[in-house]
Amino acid sequence: MEENENGMVLQFAAWQSAADESFWHRLASFKLNTQRLAEHPIPISGFFAPCSHPQVPSHLQLLLESLPPDTADMNDTAVEVHSNRNRLPVPGILYNTNTLESFQALDRQQLMSEATQQIWDDICSGRAEENTDLLNRFLVISYADLKKWTFTYWFAFPGLVMTPPATSASSQPASEVFNKDEAAGILAACTEWRALPSGASSTAFLLHITLNSDVRARPLKDWAIVQQDGGKVVLAFYDPCHLATNPGWPLRNLLALASVRWDVTRVQVLCYRERRGQVDLEHCPVFDVALPSLPEWKEVKDVPAAVGWERNLRGRHGPRIVHLASSMDPIRLAESAA
Amino acid sequence: MVLSQRLHEAFKGAVERMTGPRTVSAFKEKGVLTPDEFVEAGDNLVSKCPTWSWEMGDPSSRKSYLPPDKQFLITRNVPCLRRASSIEEEYEAAGDEVLLDNDDDGGWLATHGIDRGSKGEECLASIDAEEPAKSSFRPSIPQDDEDSDVPDMLECEDLDNVVENDVATLQPYLVAYEPDDDHILRTRTYDVSITYDKYYQTPRVWLTGYDETRHLLQPELVLEDVSQDHARKTVTIEDHPHMAGKHASVHPCRHGAVMKKIIDVLMSRGVNPEVDKYLFIFLKFVASVIPTIEYDYTMDFDLGHS
Repeated sequence: MEENENGMVLQFAAWQSAADESFWHRLASFKLNTQRLAEHPIPISGFFAPCSHPQVPSHLQLLLESLPPDTADMNDTAVEVHSNRNRLPVPGILYNTNTLESFQALDRQQLMSEATQQIWDDICSGRAEENTDLLNRFLVISYADLKKWTFTYWFAFPGLVMTPPATSASSQPASEVFNKDEAAGILAACTEWRALPSGASSTAFLLHITLNSDVRARPLKDWAIVQQDGGKVVLAFYDPCHLATNPGWPLRNLLALASVRWDVTRVQVLCYRERRGQVDLEHCPVFDVALPSLPEWKEVKDVPAAVGWERNLRGRHGPRIVHLASSMDPIRLAESAA
Repeated sequence: MVLSQRLHEAFKGAVERMTGPRTVSAFKEKGVLTPDEFVEAGDNLVSKCPTWSWEMGDPSSRKSYLPPDKQFLITRNVPCLRRASSIEEEYEAAGDEVLLDNDDDGGWLATHGIDRGSKGEECLASIDAEEPAKSSFRPSIPQDDEDSDVPDMLECEDLDNVVENDVATLQPYLVAYEPDDDHILRTRTYDVSITYDKYYQTPRVWLTGYDETRHLLQPELVLEDVSQDHARKTVTIEDHPHMAGKHASVHPCRHGAVMKKIIDVLMSRGVNPEVDKYLFIFLKFVASVIPTIEYDYTMDFDLGHS
């Protein structure tokens, strides 16, 4: 507990969702042509990029390509998930209901614990070390009112709860934490890592600073190997958050992974952020995180608790609503074209 | 939409359907691009300014003269901290000229205080949007706050588990950034996209605006972030060729002429501009239309000053 007295509770800035207008158009068409009256869960992809501006966070976005193609389009050429460095895919699940009543009747705690179970399994099995975006798994519940062209929706980004929470002294920019040689090495290693085509599997990684100050970026699964080589290991992740004082939400489950898989109690974390599309160490906060010892995570097979239902525009836990009659309602469109 | 604009759109659409895309390069002669040159210039933009990327868009609106995976360019989530209209007020208050170019004849050039209504050829397309109000912030498209259709939604709120009151969750902030002056200007963000306009044979810029909670702005509100001369003339609100909904767009009717003029200036200084630099030059000039939207067009290239 001595460590906890030195540091403050590490607070994670929640993901912020953003659903493109194109996504809702796509969902309307998907509902009418493919899903129809079925209410089964639909696998979707969210997209994000590391934060690239000092004033605004990156969002977890739903875009046109987030939904699977309509069956009508199936005979089109094979559809690939179009990702690039500015839209790294994140796996999600959409529960789209037929009525407002069934939207409200969804057992959100149950949905949350199912998603948490998946994240937990992926951590424990080591799959999340191979594909780090499994840690960012999210879910969306929605009701598409295609008479009024109104969409009611609610995102959840399950984040495992550590009790007691992880702590950290206040952050410092990476440019100050590391010496000149290390910083140059980190810059080069991060730039190289970011250029890898592996996308989703690479949103968290290790920076290995060897005894002679060489820096290599390594995948998470190399943790044990890197430890044997000596030197220092920094845990890095693509951070959507823009605040200098806090890490973004993806670190939350990543720290859980570090605790469960690597059994560490201290870890240095670099929040990877960019300016003009390039990593900028002045704007990458570094946290020295102290992790609690969590014997119950190793012994009990119960899934830990998780939080993460997004707040709405009033700052409360509740759904958001978007009205798109002006761009979707055929009658309104006909009137504006007349 | 005014009638002249609608007629023009119909005419333009018909021409686009009946004629093939430009195949002969006329970059230096006319300031225009072939689709292949657009792709070449776009590839260069994406490699030099990595916040830009190519998009496929909706397969049903795919243009056959562009590669399927390179239909248009986009940079998302670009902050816009101040309203362009408020900056211009500041300039006016300071008695300054805003000199966008030193040539009085072009469509883009404006010194403040000169009545521009009576000269220069009007763009065929113009807009009938109301003039943006002086006050900088107006509510965007109605969101759940004002929603009266679904009163039951309230009942969902905060009934939840106490678990959500988690100490490791940073308590939310809704305003990302506030300049410390009297006007509360909220940080808007923009998705800026560039399509290829087959009729004008030039790139075309589109703006999708969001308020500080990342909810869509009505296109009319986007005009507050456009230099006010252009908001009334050259920025129109139209259907995006690849994306859903109405978006504000810098109308391309003068793009070729302006680009030709810039290229001529460069060439008179002994610079031979390559076609793959087209979008850098183009985006620099678009910055005069949307001065407060901080998209990335920075790339060191010789403008011929030395």
